[in-house]
Formats: sequence, structure tokens, C-alpha cells
Amino acid sequence: MAAEYAKLIGDQPGAAVATFTGYVRGHAEGAAVTALELEHYPEMAQKVLMTLGETAAERFKLTRWRIVHRHGSLAVLDSIVWVGAVAEHRGEAIAACEFMMDTLKTDAPFWKREEGVAGDKWVAQRDTDTRRRERWQ
Amino acid sequence: MSITIKLFAALREALGESELQLDLAEIASDASPADVAAVKAVLANRGTDWREALHQPNLVHALNHRVVFTDAVVSEGDELAFFPPMTGG
Repeated sequence: MAAEYAKLIGDQPGAAVATFTGYVRGHAEGAAVTALELEHYPEMAQKVLMTLGETAAERFKLTRWRIVHRHGSLAVLDSIVWVGAVAEHRGEAIAACEFMMDTLKTDAPFWKREEGVAGDKWVAQRDTDTRRRERWQ
Repeated sequence: MSITIKLFAALREALGESELQLDLAEIASDASPADVAAVKAVLANRGTDWREALHQPNLVHALNHRVVFTDAVVSEGDELAFFPPMTGG
């Protein structure tokens, strides 16, 4: 995370810097999760995340932004996703992080497969994610 | 003249394929355009598992890496992906 933060702020940190990190949960719906497999569509993911960052930059007047999304096999407590935004004011930097997270949850082509004691299952998209995404339209 | 079909996640698992080529001649005819709906109809002919998988209500279609609806027209060299709702982040 420190390396990503350093890349985000570069040589001249802006007045307001906000970041968010998402980690692999150890449990889901009451059952223990032992590992997470993240499938992805590489070419589309690259385009979607790049466009997302550029859209956020324009909408929230960011001077710098960064999005990192891991894929493949992850362990519990590993980080999955990290977003960062630099702006002149805290409102814009924080809102940009929320916007980037709410949007990538439904728009970025990654799929989580939870491995647990009871077996493996694909995670389903949540209604809350759809609603949060719609807030930004 | 063909297009590339890609399948991901639970769809890929259910159908046992991740990528295949489809001849445009199979999809288009003089009467109907080669759109995503036509591609799904041709693939559904492969069997009940294909028909069921492609008719899930929340299926997402991405043409050349952009989400589209079933009326999107496909052309030679295009890449059309089918997958369940995304769960990243």
C-alpha cells in the first residue's frame, strides 16, 4: 500500500489525498472463507479501469488518480483493490474514491469465487452494489 | 469470416469452454442482421445447457470490451463475451 500511495502522490502531493483499500473477508454469509479466486477479462478490465479513472478525474477535478485491482489466487486478509485520488479539496478526493469503488464493483470484469470449508461458490452481485452504482448517474 | 466468443466465470464453468470461433455465415442471413441476439440463437442450438446458460436474465454481453444489448451488430473480427454480473472490488 505504501508503494501505491507514493506512486499516487508523486513528487508534489496535492492539497487533499484520499484512498480506499478492499481486503478479502474471512467469512461470507456465516461460513468461513479460506481463499478467493479472482477471474478477470484482462483487455476489458484494463479499458474499464482506465476509463473509470479518467472519468473520475474529470468529474471530481482530480490532479492525480490511481486504481489497482489484483486477480488470481488470493488469501484471506490479502488486499484486492486499491483506489487513490488527489484533488484540491477533501470533498472531491473522498467522493472520487467512493465513485471509483461504487462503479468498479459493478462495471469492472472481475468475478470472485470463494473457497470455503463447505465448498466453492461464485459470489453473486448484490442489490446494494447496483443501488450504490445508480446513485452516481 | 468469423468472430471470437469468450465465456467467463460461472458461464465458462457450466459450458466447459472459455473461447471459440463462430463463422459469421452461420449467424447472418439476408433476412436478419448478425446481431448479438442472432449469435445467442446459433449458440443455443448447441444444446440445452447452452440455451439455459445464454438465457439467464442477468447475462452480460460485451462486444469488443464494451457492454452492449442484444441488438448490437457484430462484424468480422469482433470479440463477443458473455458473462454473469461482475463481482470485482
